[in-house]
Amino acid sequence: MWTFIVRRLLQSVIVILGVTLISFIALQIGGDPTYLFVSERATDEEIAMVRRALGFDQPLHIQYLTYLGNVAQGDFGNSLSYRQPAMEIVLGALPATIELTIFAMLFAIVLAIPFGVFAALYRGTAVDGSIMTMAMFGQSVPNFWLGIMMILFFGLYLGWLPISGHVPFLMPLLRGDFVTAFTNLPQTIYYLILPGVAVAFYSLSRNARLVRSSMLEVLGQDYVRTARSKGISEYAVITHHALRNAWLPVVTMIGLEFGFLLGGVVVIETVFSYPGIGRLVFNAINQRDIPLVQASVIVLSVIFIVLNLVVDLVYARIDPRVKL
Amino acid sequence: MRRLGTLAAAGATGLLLCSTALAQQPDENTLVVGLSADITTFEPANISSRDNSNIARHIFGTLYTISGDGDVQPDLAEDLQISDDGLAYVYTLREGLTCHDGEALTAEDAAYSFNRAADPANNFTGNTPGFVFSSIGFDSAEALDEQRVQINIERKNPIAFGLIAEVFIHCKDSYEAMSLDEASANPIGSGPYRLASWDRGSQVVLEKVDDPNSPANMERIVWRIIPEASTRTAELIAGNVDIITNVAPDQIDAINNSGGAEVQAVQGTRRMYVGFNLSDEFAQMPGGDAIQDPAVRRALQYAVDVPSICKQLLNFECERMTGIVNPPNAHPDIEPYPYDPETAERLLDEAGWPRGEDGVRFEIRLQAGQGRYLNDRNVVLAIAQYLEDVGLDVEVDIMEWASVYIPLIRQRAAGPLYFIGSGGALWSPLYDMTDLARVDSGTNYTHWDDPRWFDRWEDIANAETEEETRQIVNEMLEVFYEDGPWLHLYFQPDFYGVSDRVDFEARPDEKVYLFDTGLN
Repeated sequence: MWTFIVRRLLQSVIVILGVTLISFIALQIGGDPTYLFVSERATDEEIAMVRRALGFDQPLHIQYLTYLGNVAQGDFGNSLSYRQPAMEIVLGALPATIELTIFAMLFAIVLAIPFGVFAALYRGTAVDGSIMTMAMFGQSVPNFWLGIMMILFFGLYLGWLPISGHVPFLMPLLRGDFVTAFTNLPQTIYYLILPGVAVAFYSLSRNARLVRSSMLEVLGQDYVRTARSKGISEYAVITHHALRNAWLPVVTMIGLEFGFLLGGVVVIETVFSYPGIGRLVFNAINQRDIPLVQASVIVLSVIFIVLNLVVDLVYARIDPRVKL
Repeated sequence: MRRLGTLAAAGATGLLLCSTALAQQPDENTLVVGLSADITTFEPANISSRDNSNIARHIFGTLYTISGDGDVQPDLAEDLQISDDGLAYVYTLREGLTCHDGEALTAEDAAYSFNRAADPANNFTGNTPGFVFSSIGFDSAEALDEQRVQINIERKNPIAFGLIAEVFIHCKDSYEAMSLDEASANPIGSGPYRLASWDRGSQVVLEKVDDPNSPANMERIVWRIIPEASTRTAELIAGNVDIITNVAPDQIDAINNSGGAEVQAVQGTRRMYVGFNLSDEFAQMPGGDAIQDPAVRRALQYAVDVPSICKQLLNFECERMTGIVNPPNAHPDIEPYPYDPETAERLLDEAGWPRGEDGVRFEIRLQAGQGRYLNDRNVVLAIAQYLEDVGLDVEVDIMEWASVYIPLIRQRAAGPLYFIGSGGALWSPLYDMTDLARVDSGTNYTHWDDPRWFDRWEDIANAETEEETRQIVNEMLEVFYEDGPWLHLYFQPDFYGVSDRVDFEARPDEKVYLFDTGLN
């Protein structure tokens, strides 16, 4: 197993290099970013001076190699807009996004399992039809539209939930300020409900369908019939025999869910004025803030890679057929 | 027992929800403003966006300031003397000024603010070094004594005093003790408010400085960053925000019908136009040759129904521009071009561009960025349609604003037709006209080179009276109206959503200054 982990970590370095290169090239395609950092009345000399100051006067391969050299020394550069260390800004925004993603993931998983199981157990009935109709709706509707509708209904019309904003929990926790963190926690959850549900609705729907189909497959297996013929209670059959085996494909999906949700928060963070990494990277791309985009890409890549690794390890743990 | 526990938990949650819902409403000492754009820095020499500058202006004073009506008024300074050669501006500071760090604010701080911003070692690129200093030809600043600071410029400039009014004055001792990184998040000025907290991407909180002579009304101003227009509107209607900027035109009715807020619409100073790129390179392109002729450019002025565009697409009864200058300073005798497609067609025929068998006079490309100006994409499509109605075959090329269009514009390589806006001012016609100060100006995206315009700048520099200057300006504006390189559109309206709770009057220059804003 350790060989597997080391091999995967080495592969990850290549993946990270690849994504930084691709994002670097993509940001350069639009042309010289210097013009975004000079006044419209700047003279040619002033533009050239700013270009030099920002390092855009160098050939692209030199810029990229210089960047990699600096990254190897732990220097991710300064954000061109904020004029502060890019990695510091990204790590400052990350906890808010992790809060949102974890909340959305819990929502998507905790509800998806009972919905999927009930739909499978009551296959072909109104219960199954209702759940699957909702799932179809959840997979069809764009999350930004759902977010705006939820703002209008729950935030504005009913006034039950906050329309936008964020109260931090993880950030004070990481700073060691436990009192603030846990004092904030109820408010944090309160502010997470609307954006969290909007982000999670697609995943909830997809997971419910996945659990249902997986359960249906397992419920038709011989060992389930054998268990029933032994007179074991239906509850025990479902929880101990069926669900345990239906769980395998779901675990894979859940492991990747975090990464999927992380990608899905960009629009939702904008709609709900949520100060996370999604909105940060969106603005950074618009402003051609290359160091900030690169730092975000590296952080997000590392998260994806670690998650994939953890999923593989967990999968091997729960399915004895898988050897690493 | 378990059911009882569940009920208790539900009740507690309900109470929590109610209390937090109420807590969102601003109290009587707090003003909450919803902005559309994020704030990136509090480094005074790196601030460049309007929203960023609006917040910073509450923290930093300026030597003089410009009122909503366009009057240049004293702020930290109480007097200004300009040398006979127009190259030295001596400001006398008011007595008793204090920095937020407790130190007295003197002429040395003022001189430091200018020289620090101009120091190339700092690599600042904000409005002060990037726009003000390059416009006025800033040379140096020096403290003559405790109260007097002298600003030296390289060339005589009739609008230097207005531009200098945009420079934020900060406090030397504190800034010398901070690194550039620290300075970007810890502003130390002498304005009526100090920075209390800044949650990046979320909100900025300013607190009133304890000063009996403070012009500030509210104890606290919270600037919330709410990028999505419909979310800003919802927050305003819910009563959680007092003022929002950049209301989308399609949400005006929702706010006005809410019963708790209304939209203030003001004609802004940003001049929206379609530029004719007259460069030699574009003269070789389809349509680029046609627009070289002033008669064709004049004909196209009649082809576009600007009032209808404003009414239908911007939800505003706007005034069509007569030229490059904002209305208070525009030529008093020039009327906007009317919408008259028949005249447009006749003039195009006379200019030697009759309709062909396919009904087309000539092909031309219209380029634009999207997402920067009010409903810009639809405005561009409407303009293209009006031009097609008089026989042009218009290829519309709409592109991403920041990455693609801005570099194109700044390299003066958009066109042959391009849509853009240019920020203006009310305090001097010359400010607006300096977009075209030289043929090779960075803002002369048109490459227009008419000597009847460009040769007159020297006359303005040598004019001895205001009347003489005004006469020259009027003559230049007549040339611009008849043969200029802009298809005149409108001054972009600005929409502010304002809660009934507050007493706020929007300004036409996009500045949101809340010193005297209070509650009704």
